[in-house]
Amino acid sequence: MRVWKSLGERRGLIKKTKAEFSDELPVGESVRQISRRDFFRFSGVGFAAGLAISCKSKTVEKALPYLNAQEGLTPGAAQWYATTCQGCSASCGVLARSRDGRPVKLEGNPDHPMNRGGLCAIGQAQTRGLYDPARLKQPRMAGQDCDWKTLDADLTARFAEIKAKGGKLRVLSGTLTSPALKAAIQAFLGGFKDGKHVVYDALSCAAIPAAYERTHGTKALPHYRIEEADFILGIEADFLGTWIDPAGFTRSYASHRGPDNPRPMSKHVQAESGMSLTGSNADERIRLAPSEIVPFLESLSAALGTGKPGGELRKELGHKAEALAHELMKHKGSSLVLCGLNELYAQILTARINHLLGNDGKTVDLARPSLQKQGDDRALAAFIKEMSEGQVDAVLVVGANPVYDLPTEFSAAFAKVRLRVSTALTADETAIACTHLAPDHHWLEAWSDAEPVSGTLSLVQPLTNPLFQTRNSLENFLSWSGRPATALEHIREQWRKEVFPRQKTVTDFDTFWNGVLQKGAVQLDGSPSSPAYKEDVNASFRERIATKSRPYELLLMAKVGLGDGRHAFNPWLQELPDPITKMTWDNYLSLSPAAAKGLGLEQGDMAALRPEGLPELALPVLVQPGQDDRTVAVALGYGRKEGGPKDWKTVGSNVYPWRSLASGFLSASSSALQIRRTGGRAELAATQDHHSLEGRELVREMALAPYLRDPASARPHEQPGPSAYSPHPHGKHRWAMVIDLNKCTGCSGCVIGCQVENNIPVVGKEEVARKREMHWMRIDRYYEGSEAEPKVFHQPMLCQQCDNAPCENVCPVLATVHSEEGLNQQVYNRCVGTRYCANNCPYKVRRFNWWSYPTTARSSAWRSIPMSRCAAAASWKNAVSASSA
Amino acid sequence: MAPEAQAFALPAEDLLPIEERRGYGHVLPLIEGNKSYTQVTEEVFSTTEKMPPLKWWLALSVSFSLLLLGAWAVTQTVTRGIGTWGLNRTVGWAFDITNFVFWVGIGHAGTLISAILFLFRQRWRTSINRAAEAMTIFAVMCAGMFPIIHMGRPWLAFWATPYPNTRGSLWVNFKSPLLWDVVAISTYFIISLTFWYLGLVPDLATMRDRAKSKLRKAIFSIFSLGWNGSNRTWSRYETVYMLLAGLSTPLVISVHTIVSMDFATSVIPGWHATIFPPYFVAGAVFSGFAMVLTLMIIARKVMDLEEYITVRHLEAMTKVIIATGMIVGMAYGTEFFMAWYSGNSYERYLFMNRALGPFKWAYWTMVSCNVLIPQLFWIRKVRTTPWMIFILTIFVNIGMWFERFVIIVTSLHRDYLPSSWAMYSPTFIEVAIFLGSFGLFFTCFLIFTRLLPIIAASEVKGVLKHEEH
Repeated sequence: MRVWKSLGERRGLIKKTKAEFSDELPVGESVRQISRRDFFRFSGVGFAAGLAISCKSKTVEKALPYLNAQEGLTPGAAQWYATTCQGCSASCGVLARSRDGRPVKLEGNPDHPMNRGGLCAIGQAQTRGLYDPARLKQPRMAGQDCDWKTLDADLTARFAEIKAKGGKLRVLSGTLTSPALKAAIQAFLGGFKDGKHVVYDALSCAAIPAAYERTHGTKALPHYRIEEADFILGIEADFLGTWIDPAGFTRSYASHRGPDNPRPMSKHVQAESGMSLTGSNADERIRLAPSEIVPFLESLSAALGTGKPGGELRKELGHKAEALAHELMKHKGSSLVLCGLNELYAQILTARINHLLGNDGKTVDLARPSLQKQGDDRALAAFIKEMSEGQVDAVLVVGANPVYDLPTEFSAAFAKVRLRVSTALTADETAIACTHLAPDHHWLEAWSDAEPVSGTLSLVQPLTNPLFQTRNSLENFLSWSGRPATALEHIREQWRKEVFPRQKTVTDFDTFWNGVLQKGAVQLDGSPSSPAYKEDVNASFRERIATKSRPYELLLMAKVGLGDGRHAFNPWLQELPDPITKMTWDNYLSLSPAAAKGLGLEQGDMAALRPEGLPELALPVLVQPGQDDRTVAVALGYGRKEGGPKDWKTVGSNVYPWRSLASGFLSASSSALQIRRTGGRAELAATQDHHSLEGRELVREMALAPYLRDPASARPHEQPGPSAYSPHPHGKHRWAMVIDLNKCTGCSGCVIGCQVENNIPVVGKEEVARKREMHWMRIDRYYEGSEAEPKVFHQPMLCQQCDNAPCENVCPVLATVHSEEGLNQQVYNRCVGTRYCANNCPYKVRRFNWWSYPTTARSSAWRSIPMSRCAAAASWKNAVSASSA
Repeated sequence: MAPEAQAFALPAEDLLPIEERRGYGHVLPLIEGNKSYTQVTEEVFSTTEKMPPLKWWLALSVSFSLLLLGAWAVTQTVTRGIGTWGLNRTVGWAFDITNFVFWVGIGHAGTLISAILFLFRQRWRTSINRAAEAMTIFAVMCAGMFPIIHMGRPWLAFWATPYPNTRGSLWVNFKSPLLWDVVAISTYFIISLTFWYLGLVPDLATMRDRAKSKLRKAIFSIFSLGWNGSNRTWSRYETVYMLLAGLSTPLVISVHTIVSMDFATSVIPGWHATIFPPYFVAGAVFSGFAMVLTLMIIARKVMDLEEYITVRHLEAMTKVIIATGMIVGMAYGTEFFMAWYSGNSYERYLFMNRALGPFKWAYWTMVSCNVLIPQLFWIRKVRTTPWMIFILTIFVNIGMWFERFVIIVTSLHRDYLPSSWAMYSPTFIEVAIFLGSFGLFFTCFLIFTRLLPIIAASEVKGVLKHEEH
């Protein structure tokens, strides 16, 4: 075949060059022999092979929740289910919002008798745990993933062995509020000759039930009814932030803090060593060192007529105690004294004081005690002793992380146990020390029940199918006891037998069950009687531990965001600014301004702290106004190393090893403290650096008495001046949101709520330190007065939805506009990111996506949306703080 | 011919006695060295026809390196995000808008010299107006870059222009000063470019006539628009030039007025002030003249143009600097007075914070460079010694950059709610972009000095002494 490319070439005018454009394709003989059919054959085979290979590597992931739509389900429309929060042992009622089969948001359940619609920051952040990438996906045995059958078979064999030899088996758990689970554990333990259930709380209140055993003969944690109290004296009890039932207590407290309520506003006095959220809300605050609490309580008790003042107490504190006693007596039966110290004698005194004030049965409910803290530290101490002596054959850890949060002797003793089982959701510090891992469901996947206060029961219902091959702890114990059943069946059966008969309103079980499931909680009938006071004052006095007053004393506190540290890998909570310090992503050594000056330390300096005989830790210094001058405070719950996502850097330091069981109750070491400057500085990531109001009238306040005399004297805001632009036209609806600043405690639940609701990214410590946190709403905290004893203000700050908004005028591209319903809307697609709106916002609530947060951090900005702000009407509730509660 | 044009063509030897009679005292000559027309033509145009000397190449390589550094930094910004800068939730503008206002200010002198001085018949402008106008154009280019790259999504910058689109009712916000900026800056750029080009036409014709190569001739033929030097051409040219000068004059005022409104129309203490427009215009003239002087002093030395850009030119400009510098100083004082007089606690705090707060070093740098140091220009010796002028103008350039930095950063970093107060410090990327803008400016300027005559030869010929002819 002869090919020609031009006429010239054909006629021989152009000479062909050899190398270029040869007439025949420069391919080998074999290729040229391929016919067209062969070509198709080969390419067909190649295509099929490629297809087969690419198909093989991918598992099919079902992204669509429903193939067959459920009846009554509108895609995209949210559904609400009542369940019970299991973020801590307070067991608040929640309403979980499910969208297309996925739980996306939790709100407090207004029908739940405990929290009545309130929910704390930890509760708000619970959905993150469900989707935690670090969760265990299947059971594990000796470090190897396995299936449940294998695990059950192995465990059953081992249990049988222990049963056969009559060995000791212990279930170690945190407080379990589920009656069904507790019953199942008891049933399981019943099969063993020596089986016991040991309960402890990392943030222990075990001294309170122990004290009531002495004073009232019943080992119970009373249910404190703050809503009934007109005068509250809190002593080292952060009941609005971290103590027992913060959300429920806050709700009760707030119900009594409105000046316009029919009941008079309560008075709250807080005596404390650190500056807690609760203290920051008090009408009056008393600073004292931890060692002064017992003498203070003694003086109080003596002033009320029982006991003698003992121990050394600063004169002014003695006078304060007397004055308080006088004031408390005026509120007999409607006062409440709360003490957060986990020390038996202090709690005996508190119980006595409440009795003397006639609070038993009124604000201190022993008839229907609280079950929110069931820990028994003495039993725990005995258990650790047993273990270290090598007597225990098996330990099953349920819902606890003792290797992390108990004194170090626990881990040493734990290693001596042959069979160690954990039901943790992640491979936490305890789980990695265990031989068998039987991962539990996340509570949003599980059926369970809860009884936070005796007689108040609620259900935990799943919002989604389990995401992984995990199993409900309840089902674990049922199957290990040889009575396998599903959790739902078992709970229903349990409720039919145990709960249903204890009420008389509904006669049909199914109606009752569905009613509770729908409403979330039920309060059972019956009025149990209160135990009577029968304290032997002299016997109590023998419990007094003589504490030496030292130049520096250690306070180990919990922080509002982290609590006991079980949610330390939740970035929402790590980035939540502490309500008082406004710090994120760290714990620190907190000193009063005077103490810091005395030690020559400044904020951000690194200092090493060592209680005598315990390991030393280097921590950054934080100067905390309002803290007692002798107190050195450090937060618990930090320094978690195991159970987090792969690239997680340890946040803060773990100070749990500084606690001991020496007194019989978990408490901070009282040995001498050594503090030294290590040199070097640490970057503390605070969202607020400036704490003074600068004399500006940003927070308006007035005393109660003049207000009650003349409510009109509360000055309204100035009316706006004339505008060059005509007012915005408004349609049928206008949105409004009211925040009652009398009731706001600064708990910061709303900050997390907003973050979860609006998918606000977490930016990390470095970015927060650069003042680039993304929270659309924040709580500003200001101090007023002296550094030693400042007054604290909490002011929620969020988009004010200005009518004549400075942000709207300045946007060149109309990316932020006023809606017909009065909202400032942000049109993300239109935003080009000039940041002019943020500059011109007098409240500085506008947030800019400095990086493309949804994709890998600091990668491409191409998909970023520059300006973000609360805009969608959906997130705005026509909510006016209810004052009826 | 228009009477103005006649006055314009008045021979220099007639002018000098007039000026002396008017009380100017001893007047330095505008052009030194008794030059003939041929000499002027030869000296001005030969630079565009020779291979540039080594020092030019050195200068170009330095400025081009800076330009590349800036290009790298801009790439980082655009691909990774504004997070590469030191900005935060409180300080949303800092280096970016500081640089923008700084360059716009620099870009003021060119048009002022060309248009306003032309209208006021300030004949000393002739030697420097070409270079000053070129400087304006390059400075506005530098300035224009910043509002674009400061955006979170600069690839959508065109959304800030009111162009007809198919997106329904999407339009721009005419209430936003940023939109006014877009209009003001682009208008200013177009008019300045046109004015500069028009002034170039007679010289382009000369270049065409001198061109040796065909290509060069062809190019300059196109750009000289068929200039033939006839009386009619001159007459029309001068009429248009006069009209354009009249058109440009309000722009000199309007551009910086509008830039100042970016701040003045906001609600932020320290920004929200009615004094801003005149204050900014004076500041712009101040910084623009300083930059012209800085450049001219280098150029006359390096390019052997001392006889064209004489000490008399330099001295005249130092007088403008001292006048505008004092206006700026008065504005600083007025701001403090108003803050006190208004009784507004936010304003009062803001100004105390400027002078005594964490950015006081920036504030006092600004005051010393802009108000105190230029007072040395009262001394005649300083005014007529180029190296002294050079040092002083560098101070003014620094001071005026800090003025914008102080206005923007100190106002933002502590506004209404103390809870949100924050500090600002730039990152390397921001500094690199700033250096890059200098790279862009000097690269353009250096290329300009070798491509086109930096002295308006046709105008200079009008102010030569004519005794010898």
